Amino acid sequence: MSLAARHLEANGISTVIMGCAKDIVEHCGVPRFLFSDFPLGNSAGRPFDVPSQTQTLELALQVLESAPAPRTTVQSPLRWSEDAAWKRDYNDLTKLSPEKIAERRREFEVVKAVAKGKREAT
Amino acid sequence: MTTEHDVPIPYMQRTRDYYLALGYGAYRWAHFAEVPFTPLRTPLSRARVGLITTAAPFQPEAGDQGPGAPYNAAAKFYQVYSVSTESVPDLRISHVGYDRLHTSAKDINTYFPLARMREAVAAGRIGALAPRFHGAPTNRSQRETTERDLPELLRRCQEDSVDAAVLAPS
Repeated sequence: MSLAARHLEANGISTVIMGCAKDIVEHCGVPRFLFSDFPLGNSAGRPFDVPSQTQTLELALQVLESAPAPRTTVQSPLRWSEDAAWKRDYNDLTKLSPEKIAERRREFEVVKAVAKGKREAT
Repeated sequence: MTTEHDVPIPYMQRTRDYYLALGYGAYRWAHFAEVPFTPLRTPLSRARVGLITTAAPFQPEAGDQGPGAPYNAAAKFYQVYSVSTESVPDLRISHVGYDRLHTSAKDINTYFPLARMREAVAAGRIGALAPRFHGAPTNRSQRETTERDLPELLRRCQEDSVDAAVLAPS
């Protein structure tokens, strides 16, 4: 998505990304970015919470209108939960036994093969 | 004050460590020194705005794509697609690595802001929506993304005559 924002912007279309992966988007370098510190999958606001979705879009629109320069990131003030413990869990290796890691590898090989098949069939 | 780990998740480090532990080499994320910039030239209340998503249209033949479904590579797509913004599309995110432990993808509006954007048009905040939104493939090959998908996405946005675009990755 970051690459898409850059390509559109280089061709005269202003963009704003709404996203949850701060490091990945900023590592790429994008014109405007509204960051929500939420679990991946909630770039447009909280589930079944219309006011949070409205606020998230409004912030993104303000970033679109008013960013003074590229690499403008604004962080939404919304919190996913009071407790930040959820942030520890993503790809947390400390919770995986060697057996579990081997199982994840087997699963990933299957996923790769399916994706390859689908890509080649497209 | 808050706790030490209450910072944005370092996804690149976590992902790198995870796949190294599984026995794979390190993925290289795209990285640029220069960033293009086009100031918004039309007031938003008169601008035509596009929407770009990485969510995938539901594919009945592609297995479980429901909320909380395991990662489903069969539900991926590898070509840019476009759908009318007048429609109420059924888009899923089982083909990407969202946080399955802490969220469920039960509400499309958490990753696809079309309904909220329509409200912004009705309220006069946005001039108009583009006639269609576009789906961008989540291809791990940056070369294919750059050489094939991005020119196609740009072409479609230019056909739609948009002044600006909102990009919502899932």
